[in-house]
Amino acid sequence: MLQEFSYLAPTTLKDLYALLKKNAGTAVILAGGTDLLVEMHNNWISPKLLVDIKKIPQLNDMSFDRKNGLSIGATTVCIDLINNSDVKKYYPLLADAAGRIGSHQLRNRATIGGNLCTASPCADMGCSLLALGAEVELASADGIRVIPLKDYFTGPKKTQIKKHEVLQKIIVPFESANAKFGMRKLKRIKGHDIALISVAMARTEKFLRVGVGSCAPTPVVTAPLPANAKPEKVKEAVMKVVSPIDDVRASRDYRLFMTGEFVDSIYAEIFNGGSK
Amino acid sequence: MKISLKVNGKKYTREVETNKNLLHFIREDLGLTGTKEGCGAGECGACTIIMNGKTVNSCLILAVEANGCEIETIEGEAKNGKLSKLQKAFHENHAVQCGFCTPGMILSARALLEKNAKPTVEQIKEAIEGNFCRCTGYQQIIEAVQDASGQLKKKEGLKRA
Ligand SMILES: Cc1cc2nc3c(=O)[nH]c(=O)nc-3n(C[C@H](O)[C@H](O)[C@H](O)COP(=O)(O)OP(=O)(O)OC[C@H]3O[C@@H](n4cnc5c(N)ncnc54)[C@H](O)[C@@H]3O)c2cc1C
Ligand code: FES
Ligand code: FES
Repeated sequence: MLQEFSYLAPTTLKDLYALLKKNAGTAVILAGGTDLLVEMHNNWISPKLLVDIKKIPQLNDMSFDRKNGLSIGATTVCIDLINNSDVKKYYPLLADAAGRIGSHQLRNRATIGGNLCTASPCADMGCSLLALGAEVELASADGIRVIPLKDYFTGPKKTQIKKHEVLQKIIVPFESANAKFGMRKLKRIKGHDIALISVAMARTEKFLRVGVGSCAPTPVVTAPLPANAKPEKVKEAVMKVVSPIDDVRASRDYRLFMTGEFVDSIYAEIFNGGSK
Repeated sequence: MKISLKVNGKKYTREVETNKNLLHFIREDLGLTGTKEGCGAGECGACTIIMNGKTVNSCLILAVEANGCEIETIEGEAKNGKLSKLQKAFHENHAVQCGFCTPGMILSARALLEKNAKPTVEQIKEAIEGNFCRCTGYQQIIEAVQDASGQLKKKEGLKRA
């Protein structure tokens, strides 16, 4: 048995905001539970109140248009992102990234919002969404704010979300639609495992951006580079934003080396006609 | 909290503590002990069930979250006392040693075969990525899935029956 807690599952955003406001500090949001229930199972945390947000239809919505780009409701699970026709057509990098998370069982349950809220440096959606210039919409009884994903992560497992806020949706701009892309995830084993480093590159007609995971306290991204930036310039920009550490899974030097290798190989792939 | 759900086609309504996970609910409250607990933390897949048509780790879901859901467990695999094609193939190809991983393996394999009737070896390996087996070394399991999908030549593998 897990520790005791209360469980509430509001069905409207209004009720959710009110609940979070009233219980700020004690309420913990439950999405897919694939991070949260592991932490509770291991007794790392013992929340007093779990607020299940999966019963709120707006949070599970996905939509696309040529003005606003792609909007991903926070409780969208990996497998629904992977199978979404707009994602397949306009943002295949996201399907590629989500397909690298855990196993089938995990992908059927793990949400995109949860991945960004756990905010692990190695979270797989981080580097791909950063490369595409995504923003996140944070909401509460006090109102809604939209911030660039690159400013959202503030440290390992730390974000700008306030205690009474919910991450409502992720917005991927239309200007990133149809970007040529490539992604690599370095793991210890071929089966399901978290990343030692991950690199995602997206190139549109106007810009090129590289997102990197597990190579700094948060997932990081380069500034938008010109679409025809030379490989040395891209690598230089990447090396400026990463700051890996030595840990039990890999050394700093190995991480830096493999990041460089991946940037080179993805660059070659993208400039030879893209990886679709 | 009171929950109602369907398990292997049968409707159950039960009072359940919020802090009980779905795995323990299925095993202890419903007495369906085919679903196993290995790690309790999403790694091993011994607790795999099918919930609303998708394979999930029942150790990472609260019982209260399953209110209104349709669930299939290994107990629903055999029909009228007859083993399913997959169960038979596991049996005949020696894909079961201690058997602890088998219920989860079979449900993951079933999810694969429902989408893809003739999977390649690579696709089979990918499909059971979230299910650990500590005994067989996986080879017999892969052969069993090939066999169940009519792709194992008789002399291949360890088939002895
Ligand atoms: C065996 C295993 C393998 C894994 N492999 C990978 C992997 O390869 N790559 C990877 O990136 N991750 C991996 N994970 C981690 C995890 O599955 C993902 O991070 C997943 O996306 C988390 O989503 P969730 O919906 O399950 O989050 P939950 O567990 O429900 O929530 C995670 C955290 O975010 C908060 N939260 C969730 N949604 C919101 C929201 N909308 N607003 C505000 N706060 C919110 C919760 O309160 C909690 O603190 C793995 C986990 C396990 C157990
Ligand atoms: S017991 Fe659920 S994954 Fe191991
Ligand atoms: S048969 Fe023993 S774990 Fe697979």
